[in-house]
Amino acid sequence: MVLGALALVILVTGLFAVRTVRRAIFWRTHRDEVIRPWMSIPYIAHSYRVPPRVLYQALGLSPQPHDRRPLKQIAREQSRSVDEITSVLLDAIARERANRPTAAPPPEPGRSP
Amino acid sequence: MNLTDQLLGALSQYGLPVLFGVIVIAAVGIPLPISMMLVAAGSFVELGEMKLWQVIVVASAGAVIGDQIGYALGRWGGHRFAERIRRRRNGLEKLAQAQAFAKRWGAAGIFLTRWLITPLGPWLNLTSGMTGYPWPRFFVWDLLGEVLWVVLYVMLGMLFSDRVQALAEVLGNLAWVIVGLIAAVILGWKLLRYLQPAEPLRVEK
Repeated sequence: MVLGALALVILVTGLFAVRTVRRAIFWRTHRDEVIRPWMSIPYIAHSYRVPPRVLYQALGLSPQPHDRRPLKQIAREQSRSVDEITSVLLDAIARERANRPTAAPPPEPGRSP
Repeated sequence: MNLTDQLLGALSQYGLPVLFGVIVIAAVGIPLPISMMLVAAGSFVELGEMKLWQVIVVASAGAVIGDQIGYALGRWGGHRFAERIRRRRNGLEKLAQAQAFAKRWGAAGIFLTRWLITPLGPWLNLTSGMTGYPWPRFFVWDLLGEVLWVVLYVMLGMLFSDRVQALAEVLGNLAWVIVGLIAAVILGWKLLRYLQPAEPLRVEK
C-alpha cells in the first residue's frame, strides 16, 4: 500500500513539476499578461509598458491619478462588455508600439557597456 | 467572470479590507486564491496604489487571526472527535502518539506550513488545536511563519509587478510540488524501514 501511495505521489508531483516548468518557460517568452476583468488601467499600462494616457484616450476617458477601478467596472460605466473594452485596449497598445518600435524593449538601467 | 477575478477586482478597488477578509477566511481553510492576492498586492504597492508596511501588517494580522480561529476550532470543535478516538481500542495510545509527534515536530511543522508548504497550513491549525499543542508556542511560530510568507510573496509581487498572474500560477504549482516531494520522502523513508529488518543482524564471530 505504501508502495502504491509512493508511486501515486511521485506521479502527481511529477505532473505538477512539469506544469511549473512549462509555465515558467511560457512566462519567460510571453511577457504580456492576458487582460482580465480585475485589472485597472494603470496595471494594464504597467504590464504592457505603455503610458496610461494612451489607454485612457482609447476608451475616451480623461486620465486620473490613483484610478483603481477594475475593467469590469469601467465596462459597466460605459455599458460595454469587458471583451469589447479589452479589444479596444489591445488595439491601442498595438498602435502605440508600432509608433514607437525602439521603445518596446525597456532599457536596463545601471548597466555599463 | 470567476472568483479570482472578482476578488482581485475588489482588492484593486477597495484595498486593505478585502485583503484582510480574504486572508482570514482562507487561513481557516476555505480555498481562496490568496497567493494571487498577495502577489497582486505587491504589484499595487509597486504601482503606488498601496503602502508596503500597511499591506504587510494587515495581511500578516489576517493570516495570524485566521490561524488562531482554525486552532480554536480544532481545540474545542475537535474535542468530540478526539473523545471518539480515545474510546476506541488503542485509542488513548494513538492520541498520545499524535501528541508526542506534534510536540516534537510541531514548531517546524507550524513554521514551514506558513510559508513553504502552504497548502497544509489550515489542516495543521486544526490538528495543533486537536492535539492540544501549547497555544503560546503555536502563536509564536505561526506569527514568524506568516510574516515571512507575507513579506516573501509581496516582495515577489513587487519584483514581477507587471506579471502577477503568471507569477501566481507558477507559485501555486510550485507549492504542490513541494508538498508532493515531502510526501514522497516520508513515504520512501517508511518503505525503506519496512523493507529493512527492525534490528540489524548481528554477525557471529
